[in-house]
Amino acid sequence: MSLAELAAKVRAGERLAFDDGVALFCEPDLLALGALANEVREKRHGDRTYFNKNMRVEVTNVCVASCLFCSFAKLEEGAPGSHTMKLEEAWAELEARMDDPPREIHIVNGLHPGLPFSYYEELLRGFKRIKPDVHMKCFTAVEIHFFARHYGMTYEDVLEKLRAAGLDSLPGGGAEIFHPDVRQRISGDKATADEYLEVHRVAHRMGMRTNATMLYGHIETFEHRVDHLMRLRALQDETHGLQAFIPLAFHPDGNGMKNLPAPTAVDDLRTIAVSRLVLDNVDHIKAYWVSSGPDVAQIALRFGADDLDGTIVHETIYHAAGARVPQGLRYDDLVRLIREAGRVPIERDTFYNVVREHPRVALPESAVKVRERKAGKHLEIVS
Amino acid sequence: MGLVMTPVERSAAGGRSQTTTTERALLREGLLEVLAARRAGADLRAFERRLRDADLLALGALADAIRREEAGPAVHVHLDETPEGALASRGLELLRDVALARVLGPPGASVCVDFGASGLEIAQVALGFGASALCGPIANRRGLPIADDARKKVKGKGMVALRALQQEEILTLVRRAGREPVL
Repeated sequence: MSLAELAAKVRAGERLAFDDGVALFCEPDLLALGALANEVREKRHGDRTYFNKNMRVEVTNVCVASCLFCSFAKLEEGAPGSHTMKLEEAWAELEARMDDPPREIHIVNGLHPGLPFSYYEELLRGFKRIKPDVHMKCFTAVEIHFFARHYGMTYEDVLEKLRAAGLDSLPGGGAEIFHPDVRQRISGDKATADEYLEVHRVAHRMGMRTNATMLYGHIETFEHRVDHLMRLRALQDETHGLQAFIPLAFHPDGNGMKNLPAPTAVDDLRTIAVSRLVLDNVDHIKAYWVSSGPDVAQIALRFGADDLDGTIVHETIYHAAGARVPQGLRYDDLVRLIREAGRVPIERDTFYNVVREHPRVALPESAVKVRERKAGKHLEIVS
Repeated sequence: MGLVMTPVERSAAGGRSQTTTTERALLREGLLEVLAARRAGADLRAFERRLRDADLLALGALADAIRREEAGPAVHVHLDETPEGALASRGLELLRDVALARVLGPPGASVCVDFGASGLEIAQVALGFGASALCGPIANRRGLPIADDARKKVKGKGMVALRALQQEEILTLVRRAGREPVL
């Protein structure tokens, strides 16, 4: 099916099929694909573009799983580069920022076999003691699955206990690629796709909201990506509990797939656009600036994305894999990035309630002039 | 061949290079008229305001259509040199600069992006907005120069010069944008 036919389908509100998703990934006209995704994005959100004031904390990188794409995890406590925070050290990360505190704390960790479950409960309680209204978006579905197996509980028990200690929602990490042909090869010793989805299903049934991700640009095919999106779409049809989808670009430095090239910016934009078109029942598509870099994330706001994530403050997982972007962005930087994209910055809370709507401002008149140089055919642009 | 093609023309062109989605975007922004004026060799200064106010993707589609007709698929890659006039802004600003340079510049002009200043990622995206050349240093991921004699062991290939690897990475970026690199 051609893009024109797919566009007609999208505009008619018809759901895209598996083959349609693959065709979109194969579409050579990236700008036309982006324009179509942008149409859908603007129909849903207009120019509104979301971000939040959040903070990342990774309390331990000790992990029993040996995912090929991971540069963050260390297999054993005490191995070179391994670290596990004392609870006081973790809480100190928030205490140090109480003059301008985050609204959300996003915690993702390795699967540490030696910590008691009470460590995680106390971790949450401590943050809530310091700032009772802070939103705790913590522990991927893979971690929840690990807790259930390791401590002998059901998913419901784990989530109930963590919620009682302060957990508010789940982040989307750990999804990688669902298809077993890929998942088995890159992360075969952690939660399966069905287990990942079941944790989200249970969380949604309990009234919690969650996000979902997809790690792309390694050994998977376009068919695997579409399969991944389809599984998430089916879950969302059932539960309506996913808030945002976040495509994550594979970074090759320092991990078991270091000989693979990283996905390019064109692939980043294509993946954002196709995600927006296929996931017709997920409200928000996030351009995670740590993954793609702020420049590409900004461009993605014209290719279907409506959210830039947040200030982050101190990201370490992508940086272990060679990310060259800052570990955090200032609040004003996010506002500027969004405005430069011609969008309206909306500071949100985790549930996408509006905290502050920044007024639209006219961008400075572009004084770009193009003039032909006398010699050669190169052009000079003078601002 | 025109941007707005009949089904027969579209089929002859390989079917998918132009789409009605692009045409809709150009039509909505009033840019099909600009394209016609460009083909007729008219002075485009009268359209400057419209171009500056246009949606970025529509402007990019116009610039890309002009690039296709006038400059073809080749991307001239200038390594370790910076031709005068190479564009070096960042992010969205670069994309708009590139597109305007293509649309307002002379027919068949070389529109060159300095990836050393703009970043390779954005430079690759700019190839879809009318750019026809890239320039910049052969550097590592942190932007530091690579020595001539630096080598790296590559499985199945033995010791390979790092500069050659980096050069190949740049050429691959061009190919993955659907274009043909020319050194």
